[in-house]
Amino acid sequence: MNVKIGILSMAHMHAYSYAAAIRAIEGAELVGIADHDAERARAAAQQFGTKAFDSYEALLSADIDAVVIGSENVRHRSLCEMAASARKHVLCEKPLATTVEDGEAMIAACHASGVQLMTAFPCRFSPAMARLKACVDSGQAGAVLAIRGTNRGRCPFGWFVDKSLSGGGAVIDHTVHVTDLMRWLLQDEVSSVYAEVSNRMFGKEFDDIGFLSMRFRKGVFATLDSSWSRPKSFPTWGDVTLAVVCERGTLYLDMFSQNLVLYSDKMGGVSWHMWGSNIDELMLRSFVAAVRDETPVPVTGEDGLRAAEVALAAYRSASEGTVVTLR
Amino acid sequence: MERGAGMKVAMIGAGGMARTHAQCYQRMPDVSVAAVFDSSAEAADKLARDVGATAYSDAGAMLDQTEPDVVDVCVPTPWHAEYVCMAAEARPKGIVVEKPMGRTVADCARMMEACRRAGVPLFPAHVLRFFPEYALARTQVLSGAVGTVACVRTRRGGPFPRAWNNWYGRMELSGGVILDLIIHDFDWLRWTFGEVERVFAYGLAAGQGASAEVTKDYALVTLRFASGVIGHVEGTWADPGGFKVAIEIAGQEGLLEYNFNQPTSPAYIAALEGPAGSGPGVAVPENPTAESPYYLELAHFVSCLRTGAQPSITPEDGKEAVRIALAAIDSAATGRPVQLR
Repeated sequence: MNVKIGILSMAHMHAYSYAAAIRAIEGAELVGIADHDAERARAAAQQFGTKAFDSYEALLSADIDAVVIGSENVRHRSLCEMAASARKHVLCEKPLATTVEDGEAMIAACHASGVQLMTAFPCRFSPAMARLKACVDSGQAGAVLAIRGTNRGRCPFGWFVDKSLSGGGAVIDHTVHVTDLMRWLLQDEVSSVYAEVSNRMFGKEFDDIGFLSMRFRKGVFATLDSSWSRPKSFPTWGDVTLAVVCERGTLYLDMFSQNLVLYSDKMGGVSWHMWGSNIDELMLRSFVAAVRDETPVPVTGEDGLRAAEVALAAYRSASEGTVVTLR
Repeated sequence: MERGAGMKVAMIGAGGMARTHAQCYQRMPDVSVAAVFDSSAEAADKLARDVGATAYSDAGAMLDQTEPDVVDVCVPTPWHAEYVCMAAEARPKGIVVEKPMGRTVADCARMMEACRRAGVPLFPAHVLRFFPEYALARTQVLSGAVGTVACVRTRRGGPFPRAWNNWYGRMELSGGVILDLIIHDFDWLRWTFGEVERVFAYGLAAGQGASAEVTKDYALVTLRFASGVIGHVEGTWADPGGFKVAIEIAGQEGLLEYNFNQPTSPAYIAALEGPAGSGPGVAVPENPTAESPYYLELAHFVSCLRTGAQPSITPEDGKEAVRIALAAIDSAATGRPVQLR
């Protein structure tokens, strides 16, 4: 039997990739799309050969098993609570929430309704990351001592730079992916955060540069560059990289480096075209499998909240100029 | 001796960097290495023989008997101050001191005072400024190639350096990867982006306190410049995969990078089989340039001594780079940000 999925809002560009992934997965069905922007729902439904629903309520009343939430960050909570009330499993775009309170409410709502909540961290499904984690888990490299991470990108603008919809700028947008990878790799939680944050790239109200320093409970230290520091002329959207320093050497990951390089007179420059595996699709496959088999989702709401807490702590550190301790 | 006539160099120290410097002097017109001192007579003899100089096991005797024009101090960091001050007494035309200039800021101040009193120019050997890729990166930044700079990242390092008495691994001697290695980046960053306001750092060795002795080190240092630029410096002595460096500067109008996502290959790679029976070979990438940065650096100083021009690196620069590195070590030890100004 097909796992039937609806998408609640296409505000986030990742929702388009998730819609395409659902369509590509045998055993999954994209039942429909709803959006507070009705025209956006209609256009997306047409693009993906599915139905546009007039309201979130209408889609949630339809015959679906699960939803993907692709709204602006601040709307995650209300959409998640609606989905939970309708007893639909939830895959929520990152960051899970823009406040700890919202994140906790989402987790509680899903728990109370007996539905699963998964945070959309596709980087966990990268085959290169799996290779790195297997090397660490095997003990071959010795204990992890330190990690240097980056997740830079071009500024997405739109609602991403409107704090009332996004909850922040580059730091909340780009901290969570790699923080999640570090937590997952180390099986440990961040215990303190220091951050240097600025708006020097665009000089606007939103933060565009974020350099985080993190200490994990078992002692590993890490830094993470979460800046929107890639120019428009950069050959791709950005990067996810890790240097994992271990007792017996260093492991390097450059997650989106599997590219062809195109020098095009027609397009006026250099661009990279990725041939690596589609991690969005790999993530959706695991969500679909968990819903179908009634097994636990591999990335939870708690995982999403722990990563969001680090981003929120970074903002506090930057405004107070101190190291912020997490719980 | 007339200006422009042959210059005699006396080397204090006969280790790896002393050899590099000595070989540069040997190739300069009208410059020769006259004497080599090292506390190890064997090391002094070997380098002296190779460059045709006289070996000494007493630095004072060397300075008295050689009357050098240039004294070049390439001993482990904690002994820089002692030998620079001793050399200043001999009133050479100039003194070169290997980076880091000193183990403490007080050491740096002591050397500066001794050289000021003796009227001897002191040149901290921050050779990175003479690496063409770093010099060009700075020129590009200052000419506005990326617009107003928002952030900068650098990386430097490779395998752990094995040397005399594991002195690199002993915090009290070398200051670890932060003071010994990424001071290169601190100096280049300060030269390019101005003064540093505060520092936050983690370091494997620095985090273990002043008496730590390690066989690997790794540090991640975040810098806030007075201009508002945010910087990040990664230093490693924990990568057996070979020495690597990288620079990346992001500004409002572009991104300048070297080695991160590098679109070009090294200029020369020898991929050769090993000697018979030694197993598989290795590929050794190189980026040959017409003159080595070490030669350019020392030739610049020698030329300044001949013309009386001001060297491009001042003792103050050497001291400030040490101050940034020590602030990073302090931050790594205390877990708190350290204000520099």
